[in-house]
Amino acid sequence: MEYLPNFQVHRPGTAEEAVKLRVDNVDARFLAGGTDMIVNVRRGIERPSDLIDLTHIGELTEIREEAEGIRVGAAVTLQQLSDHETVRKSYRAASEAAGSVAGPTHRAYGTVGGNLCLDTRCLFYNQSEWWRSSNAYCLKHRGEVCHVAPGGRECFAAYSGDLAPAMLVHEARAGLIGPDGRREIPLAELYRDDGMDHLTMAPGELLASVLLPKETADIPSGYEKSRVRGSIDFPLAGAAARLRTRDGVIEDIRVALTGVRSWPFALTGTDRFIGQVLDDNVLDDLREMARTQSKPMRTGTVAPWYRRRVVGALTRRLAARLGA
Amino acid sequence: MNAPVAPAGPVKSIGERAPLVDGPEKVTGRAKYAADYRSPGALVGRILRSPVAHANVIEVDTSAAEALPGVEAVVTGQDCDQTYGVLPIAMNEYPMVRDRVRYRGEPVAAVAAVDVETAQKALDLIEFRYEELPAYFTAEKARAPGAVQLHEKKPGNIERHAEFELGDVSAGFAEADLVREETFQCAEVCQVQSEPHATYAEYDAERDRLTVWPSTQVPYYVHLMLSRTLKMDQSRIRVIKPHIGGGFGCRTETLNVEIICALLARKARGAVSLVISREETFITHRGRPETQIRMKLGLKRDGRITAVECDVVQRGGAYSGYGVVTVLYSGSLLYAIYDIERIRYNGFRILTNTPPPGAFRGHGTVNSRFAFESMIDSMAEELGIDPFAVRRANLLKAPTFAANDLMINSYGLPECIDWVEKASGWRERKGKLGPNRGLGMACSHYISGASKPVNWTGEPHATVNLKVDFDGSITLLTGAAEIGQGSSTVLVQCVAEVLGIGMPRIRIIASDSAVTPKDNGSYSSRVTYMVGNAAIEAAQNLRSVLIDAAARRLEVAPEDVECLGEIYRAGSQDRGLEFNEVVMEALKDTGTLTVKGTFDTIPESHGGKKYRGAAIGGTMAFSYAAQVVEVSVDPDTAEITVEKVWVAHDCGRALNPLSVEGQVQGSVWMGMGQALCEETRYHEGLGIAGNMLDYRVPTIMDSPPIEVKIVECADPHGPFGAKEAGEGSLAGFLPAFTSAVADAIGIRPTELPVTPDRLLKLMEKKEQEARAQEKRRKIA
Repeated sequence: MEYLPNFQVHRPGTAEEAVKLRVDNVDARFLAGGTDMIVNVRRGIERPSDLIDLTHIGELTEIREEAEGIRVGAAVTLQQLSDHETVRKSYRAASEAAGSVAGPTHRAYGTVGGNLCLDTRCLFYNQSEWWRSSNAYCLKHRGEVCHVAPGGRECFAAYSGDLAPAMLVHEARAGLIGPDGRREIPLAELYRDDGMDHLTMAPGELLASVLLPKETADIPSGYEKSRVRGSIDFPLAGAAARLRTRDGVIEDIRVALTGVRSWPFALTGTDRFIGQVLDDNVLDDLREMARTQSKPMRTGTVAPWYRRRVVGALTRRLAARLGA
Repeated sequence: MNAPVAPAGPVKSIGERAPLVDGPEKVTGRAKYAADYRSPGALVGRILRSPVAHANVIEVDTSAAEALPGVEAVVTGQDCDQTYGVLPIAMNEYPMVRDRVRYRGEPVAAVAAVDVETAQKALDLIEFRYEELPAYFTAEKARAPGAVQLHEKKPGNIERHAEFELGDVSAGFAEADLVREETFQCAEVCQVQSEPHATYAEYDAERDRLTVWPSTQVPYYVHLMLSRTLKMDQSRIRVIKPHIGGGFGCRTETLNVEIICALLARKARGAVSLVISREETFITHRGRPETQIRMKLGLKRDGRITAVECDVVQRGGAYSGYGVVTVLYSGSLLYAIYDIERIRYNGFRILTNTPPPGAFRGHGTVNSRFAFESMIDSMAEELGIDPFAVRRANLLKAPTFAANDLMINSYGLPECIDWVEKASGWRERKGKLGPNRGLGMACSHYISGASKPVNWTGEPHATVNLKVDFDGSITLLTGAAEIGQGSSTVLVQCVAEVLGIGMPRIRIIASDSAVTPKDNGSYSSRVTYMVGNAAIEAAQNLRSVLIDAAARRLEVAPEDVECLGEIYRAGSQDRGLEFNEVVMEALKDTGTLTVKGTFDTIPESHGGKKYRGAAIGGTMAFSYAAQVVEVSVDPDTAEITVEKVWVAHDCGRALNPLSVEGQVQGSVWMGMGQALCEETRYHEGLGIAGNMLDYRVPTIMDSPPIEVKIVECADPHGPFGAKEAGEGSLAGFLPAFTSAVADAIGIRPTELPVTPDRLLKLMEKKEQEARAQEKRRKIA
């Protein structure tokens, strides 16, 4: 690890105060668990003058049962989310995904908001300042060239959060607080497929909570991830699914993937499986669909073709598990 | 008269499961590592590293950095014109570049400043101008005709071509019933010890004296190289080894960090702490080289090996380091495990523009053992011979000398093989584990210390002093470097055993050049064997002194004194003297006592002269190990789970079974990392896995149960019969693992590590071939 530069820490008591601090200072950053961001600070990727600690804001740290569903504060830790009784019972994918992030110590500090807003990752980007400067930086940060696809002007850094696909299959909504007040959008609209700028939030806007809607509660769901080691690693690929069958016939299906593009996304075209028997043909089609809609690039040490293969395998396996 | 009492007998220490004597400091956080030393006013050191892999240095302009307030010293290659290196024949490295940069990340300059921010600012102000040269990141490219030479005296970028042929190898292949050859590829791996490199140095300007606390396995070599590079008389230098967070070989030579820190301290005329990052620790490297092996074996129908041919190419990095020794070990230690006469070996160590590898645990033996055991396993299968039977057909009988003159006095491999076969349920379970699950086995061995030291001085290999004083305490003084492996504990056990006293009476001071006798350090598994023997001799000498003293007090002849540890008595009716009384008698007239023990190797152990470099591999004793590995393979994702490992290790005698088990498990586990997921990778010479996320050391989630059997085939010269325990079990894991994969899915990987993408590629290739075959059959 590189040394940690100096910065000022603020500890606001309300979300509005936090947003104001952020708006007033372009060099400030929100801080929750810090498990990902502090690594980037040590590497000189982020150089915040000020850090705004969100972990003392009441509404951000609670899981509340509301009329519309379960509202999860953005500063709730991954471990708390994974262990929450209702989440485990009614939104299984979210519990499984949160429980699969990194290792136990990361989950004790890492938060829901931090994982959802995780920066995209690339082996040419997640390196020390010395490393990146020796390699002429990269398109995503301070440089002119993408080392993954040197000809293009596009950044392919991979989105690698585990939680997002699980939240997407449950059609979660994101609660945002900005300088102009509060708004709620479908979580899917928080993301765009651009490795350089994958979050759609306005400057200064804060992800305050996620609503797991009651419409998708109790539908069987789950999360599967591939990684080289059984702990710590970011997903090479991850798949979440919600799937309900009756007498073997698919009534409801939704699949979302992570690690294989610059955003987490729901598979398009899965509706055509509704009404079909969940048999090997459908499972094979699902596998194909997941592979086709993935576009992993050489952003990590494991070959992209493998990640494409494995995301299909995970999707198939997960659908079979949920349909069984 | 004194009433007869029944004193307790001598206390036993050898063979006891003694917790490590330095454990309490470590688990409570009181232990001080190099990074913890920091006196008030100490400066912070920081290194500027080259952004390019191969270049001529034009200028390193430090004027702006020197002018920055808070900067106390700036050093560059101009501050040190002396090369260093662990082998006297191959010193070609400077602590900071002078005329030429040879790998990306090589130190260019360093600063010492009042704080880390100032130090970094100063580095940013240094102007490094250079002229780039073509750079070679693979052995193949560096060897290609017309490649620019990295070093003047190394044409073709060949650091060393090691070759030998013993016996008529061609005739051996002609006699064989089956001859096969295969190529194997092993990725470069790093040790990733828990503590990144760090050094603290204090320069006493008034007296021109230097004290250094390095995170090293070899304090004495550091001492030697500091004296050479700083041109300071050795007597002005003091090296104190702090607690060490592991090494596994990357610290068995002096590292540039240590020299740079000392240069900074002297120039700043003060104290400097230089703690480098994990990435810089990866850049400093000294791990196991990327290796390509072509292995050819001849086998008779009964499994007997008739001939071996082995070609090895190691990517040697930018400097010599231990390179010559590594490439020699790779050949010489094909011997001394099985009864093989005829071997032809060709080993190339190639200089490349990558960080230099070094002496990783199992030094030189691991990759060639992987290739050898893989070959013998697959060929046995072809001949319809069981993997155990083929090994049994080629066993040695000790005492003996291998064909290349390596001395073997004890040989517990047969017992190791028997145990793993039985414990793993091989006979009952092999072939019956269901789909995608399999068993594999392999054997390995390792030296108990290199018989000839790197720096020949004529001194004994090891010296231990025991100091006894008025308080009845015994202070064990040794240069042996405790690096977490338990050397201090085992030395205390040796002394306690000979004297029959409890371990708490003995205090150990290890590795402070001003206090302790010199020792070559902790590498090649030499400490237990060599320093252990010296400790035993020292304790025996002390025991005689104490017996003589007791005899004087008891007014009997020394041979009539019975030593019961805490009591010395003359005959069973005697109440005897307590230990302190004996000590007080011994100190009469002489005062504080210091006795000494030494150890030296015997000439028979020095290896042979049959080929150039044949001394490499020479040792007083070999350890032997066998293991069975059970794996399962996920047919969809090609992820491999290591389900269980059974390992038997012949360590001669387990002086501390708790420690031996830990070492054996650690070896197996480290082999597992290399087999399963660890590898350094470079993008144009820049390490892309220079952190613990991308360089994947297995986590506890990936760690299987490892059942250890200690086989005690006592060595006649070993301390209480003991041999090496910390390295020999590593190499066997790799081939046992790939054999298990072969058993599970019918594919034997020859490229390490077997990451899921590599394995899936092999699985798909097999499927395609099967489909094509099916198609052909249908057409026919």
